[in-house]
Amino acid sequence: MSDRSQLISTGEPFKFDQERDTEFERLIKRYPERESMILPALWLTQEQEGWISAEAIAYIADRIGTFASKVFECATFYTMYHLHPMGKYHICVCRTLSCWLRDKQAIVDYLRDEIGIEPGQKSEDGKFSLEEVECLGHCGTAPVVQINGEFHEEMDVEKLTALLAELN
Amino acid sequence: METITLTINGKRVSCLEGKSILEAAEAHGIKIPKLCYHHSLKPFGACRLCLVEDEKTGRLFASCVTPAAPDMVLLSDSPQVLKHRRNIISLMMAEHPESCIVCNKGNRCQLRMIAAELGIGENHLYPMPNYKPLEQANPFIMRDLSKCILCGKCIRADHELVCAGAIDYNSRGFDSRPATLHELPLEESTCTFCGTCVSLCPTGALSTKTDFAGTPERESNSVCGFCGIGCNLTLGIAGNMIVDVNPAHIENSVNDATLCVRGHFGHDFLNSTQRLTHPLARKEKELVPVSWDNALETTAKKLLEIKDQHGPESIAFLGSSKCSNEENYLFQKIARTIIETNNVDNGGYLSGRLLLDLAEERTDKAGRFNFFAGPLSGLEQAEVIFVLGAEPDQAAPVLDYYLKRSAKKGTPLIVANPKKIGLTTSASCWIHPYGSPKPAQNFFDTFYLELINLISANLLEKNAIDTSFISRFTSGYEEYKSDLLSLDQKTSVEKANLDSRSIKNAAETLTGKKITFVVGDGLMLQRYGKEAMEALLNLALMTGSIGYKGAGFHILSKENNLVGAWDMGTVPGTLPGRLMINNENDRNIWEKAWKSKIPQTKGLDLYQMIKKAEEGSLKAIYIMGENPLRSLPQPNRLLKSFESLEFVVAQDILFNETVNIADVVLPGAPFSEKAGSFTNMEGKIQCFSPALPPPKNAKTDLEILGLVAEKMGAPEYKSNHEDIRKEISNTISAYSETAACKHPIWIREKNQLQDNMAEKQIRFSPVTSSSETVCDDDYPFIALFGSTRFHLGSGTRTGQSERINVFAPQGEIEVSPVDAEKMNLIKDDRIKVTSVTGELERTVKVNSNIRSGYIHIPTAYNHNDARCLIQLVPLLDADSSGWDSCRVTVEKV
Ligand code: SF4
Ligand code: SF4
Ligand code: SF4
Ligand code: FES
Ligand code: FES
Repeated sequence: MSDRSQLISTGEPFKFDQERDTEFERLIKRYPERESMILPALWLTQEQEGWISAEAIAYIADRIGTFASKVFECATFYTMYHLHPMGKYHICVCRTLSCWLRDKQAIVDYLRDEIGIEPGQKSEDGKFSLEEVECLGHCGTAPVVQINGEFHEEMDVEKLTALLAELN
Repeated sequence: METITLTINGKRVSCLEGKSILEAAEAHGIKIPKLCYHHSLKPFGACRLCLVEDEKTGRLFASCVTPAAPDMVLLSDSPQVLKHRRNIISLMMAEHPESCIVCNKGNRCQLRMIAAELGIGENHLYPMPNYKPLEQANPFIMRDLSKCILCGKCIRADHELVCAGAIDYNSRGFDSRPATLHELPLEESTCTFCGTCVSLCPTGALSTKTDFAGTPERESNSVCGFCGIGCNLTLGIAGNMIVDVNPAHIENSVNDATLCVRGHFGHDFLNSTQRLTHPLARKEKELVPVSWDNALETTAKKLLEIKDQHGPESIAFLGSSKCSNEENYLFQKIARTIIETNNVDNGGYLSGRLLLDLAEERTDKAGRFNFFAGPLSGLEQAEVIFVLGAEPDQAAPVLDYYLKRSAKKGTPLIVANPKKIGLTTSASCWIHPYGSPKPAQNFFDTFYLELINLISANLLEKNAIDTSFISRFTSGYEEYKSDLLSLDQKTSVEKANLDSRSIKNAAETLTGKKITFVVGDGLMLQRYGKEAMEALLNLALMTGSIGYKGAGFHILSKENNLVGAWDMGTVPGTLPGRLMINNENDRNIWEKAWKSKIPQTKGLDLYQMIKKAEEGSLKAIYIMGENPLRSLPQPNRLLKSFESLEFVVAQDILFNETVNIADVVLPGAPFSEKAGSFTNMEGKIQCFSPALPPPKNAKTDLEILGLVAEKMGAPEYKSNHEDIRKEISNTISAYSETAACKHPIWIREKNQLQDNMAEKQIRFSPVTSSSETVCDDDYPFIALFGSTRFHLGSGTRTGQSERINVFAPQGEIEVSPVDAEKMNLIKDDRIKVTSVTGELERTVKVNSNIRSGYIHIPTAYNHNDARCLIQLVPLLDADSSGWDSCRVTVEKV
C-alpha cells in the first residue's frame, strides 16, 4: 500500500455542495455524539470529490467541532478512503483468503500487463487506478473485484477483458 | 450508588458499583501491572497487561475496562495470567529497537520495569523493530516513536486533559503511530508543548529533550513559580541542578497530570549563568562583589540615614507577587514598623486587587464577602462561563484546559475579546468589536464597559434577574435599574463598534443562569477598567451569581503569588489579612501583634512611588523580587526616575535591568531553593520546601530580610518560615491553618451570604457609560499587547530559559492580511512601530486572526521593549489610557 499519511492539499478551500450539505445536516441529528459523524462526512466528501484532501479534513473537523487530527486518524485508518485523486475507474481487487485461493493474482497480473499499473498506482491517462483491498464480504463468489463501488463476482481474466472493453 | 463485594486473590474487596476491577483492586492495595491505564484518563484497554482471571470460568478480563461485578472471584497472578502477560511483554519487546538500553527514560521506563518484574530478559521472539525517524528539532520534546507501544496515553491526554488535538493515531496495524495532522513536525501542529504527554508516556517514545543523560538522583515536590495557577510539580534533581520537571502526583492538585510549556520546560532558567550568587555594591559606578556583612550594613545604614534626614515617607518598598507569603509578610512588617512607612506595593500593582477593593467599597467593609468563585474545579459545575479580557491559553494554560474541558462537556461559554484567542473556537458566542478602528475614535477603550452595560440592559428587558437575591442582599437596585432602562443602547453599540446580535445572543445564553466570570488584565488594565469591573459586579448581583456553587469571579492572576502578596499586606492601603490601614480597629489588631505603632495613612502605590521619585521627594527604594525597569511602561522614564534616587536596594535571583542600576544587590533564592507558601488564584495556600540550597553565596530571602532587620537594630525579626507562619496564622483568620501546612489549605473566606449576615449589604453602583474620546489621527493603528505562553510577565525569568529562547526568540508582530498587503509586507519583513512615547522594530508575521487596523505585539521579548510604546499613567484615573493597548503608526523598514 502506498503511504497514506501525507495528505495532498488542493490549495482551494473545500466545502460541501448543496446536496451534501443537506445530507450532512440530516445525518448529524442521528448521532448523540457529533464525532460519530466523521465517517459519514468522509464518505460525503469522497462522493463529491472522489478523494479526500487536506482542506476537506480541516473542513470536516471544523464542521463537526472536533480535532482535525481525529478526522485524519479515521481517514488514514480505513483503506476505502482515498487520500489521493483516483482514476476515473477505481478498481479494487480483494486479496483476502478466499479470493487469494481462487487466484486473485491472475487478475492483478492481467491488469498490470493490460493497463500497466501496479496496486496503488493510477494509469497515466487518469482512467484507471488499482488497489488491493481486504475482504469485501462476498467470499462465496470469490474472487471479487469492485469497480467504482460496484461488485463483480467470480471474476476471471475473460470476464475482466470484456468489462474493460466496456469501460473503454 | 451501591457498594458491591468481590474477591480478588482470595481477599474480599468492596467498591462502588461502576468501578472497574482495576480500581477496586488498587483501592485495596492489590497491584496489577498496567501500561495504558491512568486514573485521569478514560480507560482504553489497549495494552492488555492488566489481565485478571475469572476463577469460575477461566476467562481473562482486562481489568481496567471491566466493571467489577458482585461476587466475582478473580486472580491477578494465576499461571495463566502470568503466561499471557509475559507473552504480551515479549511481543512488545520484539518490536522494540536496540536503543532501548541507552534510552533517556532509563530506569523510569514502565515497560522495562514490568519486563524486569516478570523476569523477561532474553527474548525468544524474532526481533521486528519498527523504526521511525527520531524527531528532535524542537528544544522541548524528543519523539522516538520506534519505542512506542501504542498505549494511547499521549493521545488521550492531548484530547481529554489539555484539549489541544495535536496528535492522534494514523494508519493502522504495524504502521500505526501517534501522529500529528498530516504527520508534520510537532512545531507545525497545534501542539503547545505542554509536555503532558511526555510525563505520561510509559516508554522512551516521548521524552524531555535535555543534555542530562540518566535518571535524576532524587525528586522533590514543589509549586510552579510562574503563573497564578500554582501547579504542583515534581522536580528531578541531579547534583546541584534541576534536570527534569513533571506534574506531581498529588491528589486534588489543581493541575492533575498536566502542566504548561513554561512549568514543564522553562524552569531551566534556574540554572542560568545570570544567577546572582554574591552580594554586590556600587563602588565608583561599578557593581563589585562585597561581603554579606558589608552589603547588609550599607543597606541598613543608608535606609536609616535617609529616614532620619528626609522622613519615613521618603522611602518605598516594592515587594513581590513572586515571593512567598512569609517573605512578603516580613518585608512589609519591616517597612511599616522599622522604617514606619506604608509606602509598600508589589508588582501585581492592580490586577485582582481591583475587584477586592471595589467589593470592599460596595459593602462599606461591613463584612467581607466571597466574590471569588473558589477552586477551578468548580468550572465543571458552572452553568455558564463568561470570559472577559483574558487570554488563558497564553497567560495561564491550565485554566484554559479547564475552560475547554467544560465547554466540551456542553457548558455554554461566552468570550469577550477583541482578539481571536485560543478559546474562541470552543465558545458558544464570541463578542468582539466589528470593523476596523475609525480615525479619531477610540472605541476600543470602551469595548468592555459598553458590552457589559448592554448585556445587563438586555437581561433586564427579558426580566432575567434574580429578584430574591436582589431584595435580600442588595441595596440601590432601583436606581441601577432606572439607569439601565435609560441606557441609550444604540449609542452604546456604536461607541464600541459592537454587533447587537452578538449581544442578544450572549444575553440569551446567560438568561436564567448563575454566571462564572473569568476576568483578565485585558479588561482590568484598560481605560475604563474600573468602570467595567463595577459594571460586571452589578451584573453579578443582578443575576445572583455570588455565593453560589461554582459561580462568581475567577481573576486570572499572571503571577504565582499575586493573591498572597495582597493578603500579606504588601500593598499601600491594607495590612496583612486585608485589614484596612485607615481603619483604627483594623490597625489596632496589628499594632498589638507587632507591639509597634503603624502609620495611619495609606502609602504610595507603585505609580505614585515613581511620580514621587520624579518629583524628588522619594529618596530610596528597596525592591524585592521585582524588575520594574523591564515590566512597567516607559522604561526610559523609569530609569531616569530611579537613577535620581539616592539609594536603591535590589534583592533578586537574576541579573536584570533593575539590579543593574541598584546600589546594593542582595542575592536571594527562587522557590526551589527555599521554604515558604504561595496563594494561588483559587485562594489555595500551598507550602513548599527547598529542593536545593541556594547557589554559592546566595541566601534565602527570608534570611536576608531578617539580617537586614537585625542590622537596623531589630534582631527579633530574624525568624524562619515556621515562626512567621505561626505569627500569620495567629492573627489572620483566613490563614489560620497555614501553620499546620498540610495540603491543601484554602483561604477561609467567610461566606456571609449563607450565614445570613449580609442582608441588604451589597450596593449596586450607578451605571457609567464611556465618554466620547477623541484620539490622535496621526496614529492610525491600535496596538494590542499580549503575553505568549512561552513567557511569563515581562520575561525576566523565562527570558533566561535556554529552551524558550531557542524556540521562540523573536516575538513577531502580527498584522492582518489586509494591512500586510497594503503595506507590502511579507513574513519576516521588519517594521517600525511608533507611539507617543517610544518606538521599536521587529519582524512581522501575517495572521488572519488579526483584523485590519490592529496589530498584536507580544510582550516579554527583547527586554520587553513593547513597554516603551505604552504611556506610564495611573490605571484608575478617569483619563487613563490603559496599559493593554495604545495607538501607533506602522512603517516598513
Ligand atoms: S505536548 Fe501537550 S499539546 Fe503537545 S502533543 Fe503533548 S499533550 Fe498535546
Ligand atoms: S508515544 Fe508513549 S504514550 Fe504515546 S502511545 Fe506511544 S507509548 Fe503510549
Ligand atoms: S506557568 Fe502556570 S499553568 Fe504553567 S505550569 Fe506553572 S503554574 Fe501551571
Ligand atoms: S476474501 Fe475476498 S471477498 Fe472475502
Ligand atoms: S491497563 Fe488495562 S489494557 Fe492497558
